[in-house]
Amino acid sequence: MTLTRRSAPRPEAAEHTTRLRPGVLAVSLAVLLAAVVFSLLAGSGELGWQRVLGEIWAQLTGGLSPLSEREAAIVWELRMPRVLLAGLVGAALAGAGAAFQGVFRNPLAEPYLLGAAAGAGMAATMVVVFAPAVTTWVVGPLPAAAFAGALLGVGLSWVLGRSAGGSGTAGLLLAGVAVTAFLTAVQTFVQQLNTDTIKQVYTWTLGGLNISGWTDVLVALPYIALAAVVLVAAARLLDVLTLGDAEAASLGLRPGRIRLVLLAAASLATAAAVSVSGLIGFVGIVVPHLVRLLAGASYRVIVPLSLVGGAVFLVLADVVARTIMPGELPLGVVTAFAGAPFFALVLRTNRERLS
Amino acid sequence: MTEATGPDPALTLHEVTIAYGAAPVVSDVSLAVGRGQWLAIVGPNGAGKSTLLKAIAGLVEYRGSVTLDSTRIDRLSPSDRARRIGYAPQNPALPERLTVTDYVLLGRTPHLGFLARETAADLSIVEDVLDRVDLRGLMGRRLGTLSGGEAQRAVLARVLAQRTGLLLLDEPTTGLDIGHAQTLLERLDQLRAEDNATVVTTLHDLTLAAQYADELVLVDRGGIVAAGKPSEVLTAERLREHYAAEVEVLTTTDGRPVVAPVRPRHA
Amino acid sequence: MFPWSRPTPSHRSRVSRLVLVLPLLAVLALAGCAQREDTSEAGAGGQAGFPVELRPEGAPEVTLEDKPERIVSLVPSVTETLYEVGAGDQVVAVDEMSTHPRQAPRAELSGLDPDPQAIAGHNPDLVIVNADAEGTLADALDKTGVPTLVLPAPTTLEAAYDQFALVGKATGHADEGERLADRVESEITELAENTPDRKLSYYHEVDPSYYTVTSATFLGEIYQLFGLRNIADQGDPNAMGGYPQLTAEKIVEADPDLVFLADTKCCGQNAKTVAERPGWDTMTAVKQDRVFALDDDLASRWSPRLVEFVRSISNAVAKA
Repeated sequence: MTLTRRSAPRPEAAEHTTRLRPGVLAVSLAVLLAAVVFSLLAGSGELGWQRVLGEIWAQLTGGLSPLSEREAAIVWELRMPRVLLAGLVGAALAGAGAAFQGVFRNPLAEPYLLGAAAGAGMAATMVVVFAPAVTTWVVGPLPAAAFAGALLGVGLSWVLGRSAGGSGTAGLLLAGVAVTAFLTAVQTFVQQLNTDTIKQVYTWTLGGLNISGWTDVLVALPYIALAAVVLVAAARLLDVLTLGDAEAASLGLRPGRIRLVLLAAASLATAAAVSVSGLIGFVGIVVPHLVRLLAGASYRVIVPLSLVGGAVFLVLADVVARTIMPGELPLGVVTAFAGAPFFALVLRTNRERLS
Repeated sequence: MTEATGPDPALTLHEVTIAYGAAPVVSDVSLAVGRGQWLAIVGPNGAGKSTLLKAIAGLVEYRGSVTLDSTRIDRLSPSDRARRIGYAPQNPALPERLTVTDYVLLGRTPHLGFLARETAADLSIVEDVLDRVDLRGLMGRRLGTLSGGEAQRAVLARVLAQRTGLLLLDEPTTGLDIGHAQTLLERLDQLRAEDNATVVTTLHDLTLAAQYADELVLVDRGGIVAAGKPSEVLTAERLREHYAAEVEVLTTTDGRPVVAPVRPRHA
Repeated sequence: MFPWSRPTPSHRSRVSRLVLVLPLLAVLALAGCAQREDTSEAGAGGQAGFPVELRPEGAPEVTLEDKPERIVSLVPSVTETLYEVGAGDQVVAVDEMSTHPRQAPRAELSGLDPDPQAIAGHNPDLVIVNADAEGTLADALDKTGVPTLVLPAPTTLEAAYDQFALVGKATGHADEGERLADRVESEITELAENTPDRKLSYYHEVDPSYYTVTSATFLGEIYQLFGLRNIADQGDPNAMGGYPQLTAEKIVEADPDLVFLADTKCCGQNAKTVAERPGWDTMTAVKQDRVFALDDDLASRWSPRLVEFVRSISNAVAKA
């Protein structure tokens, strides 16, 4: 026994709490970095990965690059923003998915539950049909409309849910179903009257990052970053919410208000994501589940790891989307193909843990 | 109406009425509980006991006033209220995959700000509380793996972690066998004495209620029909009238009433 | 936006219709002999050339008894051809996408999703569509005795020329049809021959999300007349049905000598918008002003105005 004591020995309880261990976070960020680098190096054609590596090295050290101006433009103006955007969108959708699952206390909840996708799709259709010559596919009316449409869908669900069912989640869920159905019907109706635009809308709906540039990254980044910060900060409250409204209130929270903040942040991230990438499914439901099965039940772990995990997932999916075939495969198709079987596999091996 | 027999009443209810829609569930209830006392609310099914408890916890709307230590609780913010009143419902949510430590840690929520994380102090409190309910050894276990008795102790621990002066427990012995129920109530009594906490419980077992509570309140159809010491409240006629049950009220060696159901006589 | 469709080889239905039609043909042949003598005495025009058997490539055979005077065309390209062969007076209604010529009587008819009742409302005696899967439209119209002529998008230039002739034949302007086919063919051939063969590469943009055509398509064949190499060909030009979506990377990497934009009207693309795309300002075609805006319609139709499309390619190649 020594005479000098360290201040307050670490409580044993600390070992039994589920929180995000710095080591786990570091590893997951390292994986993300590796995925990003891999994605930068991967690609079609003559731009071999060694040469791209040479270019990256040259940029870092100020040396001479093996790439021509045009080839360098491919890496920095096309590939880099695309990879970053995949990361941002993946993080946004997975983080939003985790938040939705926590708010609704339902493992089937996902970011499009309250009409974000239906609203974005309807708005996109409107723009394609009624303002076709203005649709330039850079930051133009289409992404802006999709963003607004997504928020409109969620807003409608919120208002309808509140007026019908108070601040509980059941009314909100039903409102989401109703609003989604309605907005989808509107979209289908408008499309039927303008069948020549079906292909354009369909392409957008399938989801893809083919036309992304730095502008898209800069436009989406603030919303997604803000939302991510709010979600991570409020993750602890999600844990309390899992006890139900009554107990959460007895612990000093206002469940309705917290739900509003969480859903607003999650929907903001979702809206930003769909506005630049179209409707990419599966990320929002599969990634949080995988994280939950692998890393524990507390949202303090699930939310941040979903953000990182979603980014990794979509960055890798995007590599597949642009390299597996001569052309471009829609990203939504890749995520479904990858997500579904993998998810089924994980479900099977964790059957007992789930029940 | 009942008057507290101790020093300044810690908790006072004055003409509390709760109505969902037209019909009132609780009407004009007034009572007072002294600091450090244990009040048990008893009554037949559907009498409004749980609802009354929820009102004291501030979880339902009511008319009238509920005052804790001279402060009306409806004037408090939810987090202020949560620092003074600990509440456990009849069927608490026990997320299966949460560890015991995580769950009890949730009890520290009212003391953490919106963005704050738990400190070492909070964790020490959790450890301390787990010691007191004898769950220290199960710290890392997931809630889904606990037995009924262990789970109830975990719930109690969570409420204790809130460090409140008032504990409201709705049927804390649900699903516990006679031994576990007794152990839990003993613990509760001990903790009450140690912390000088005021305890209000609803209990369906009249005998247990009589053994542990200082005061009893019999509630029927939303109103108080009797209040006072257990031996005063629990009489065979009264129980026949309000429970429609045939009982014999006996007395144990320590003077507390025991309610024994007796089969109705034929012929 | 995608009027091109692959031909549906309906060999089975062709054979079965042939079998059904044979006895009819036998009768008509006999009757026709007599009739032909009569009309040739009466002079040119009128019912000359009718009844006529039409054998469009990749579509069911149709026999027209009389010269159609109330034609409904649901194919924009065919509408143009109809007017070019001089059958404009015989047209009573065209679909909403038939924007050329201006005087064509556009009605609220859909070429992509034909409605038999709406069509029948114009009381036609011949309906022209570009696809009729399972023959449902033909069956429906047949109930009112209206023949349906299916003219799918041609897959080769030869087929396009043949279609001009067929349209002429179907409308009683067989001679004009033949002349039109010959004229277009010779003009196109002349343009191709007179343009220097510079062995350039090209990228043809169908929409701003980088959908393109490979050389295994109708458009691809036209570009090949000029010896142009398509950057979308890669391993197998038939991949993705000839209409793949390229990645932006791929296009910049391939650095085509010529860029043709066929999404100018639908989606507002032009040399300026293209130069603003990330990374595109490093492309040779952008730097040397070799981004050519085409008329969407010209680049997607197979009417006699093909010549204009071919001419714009020729000009582009010559300029480069």
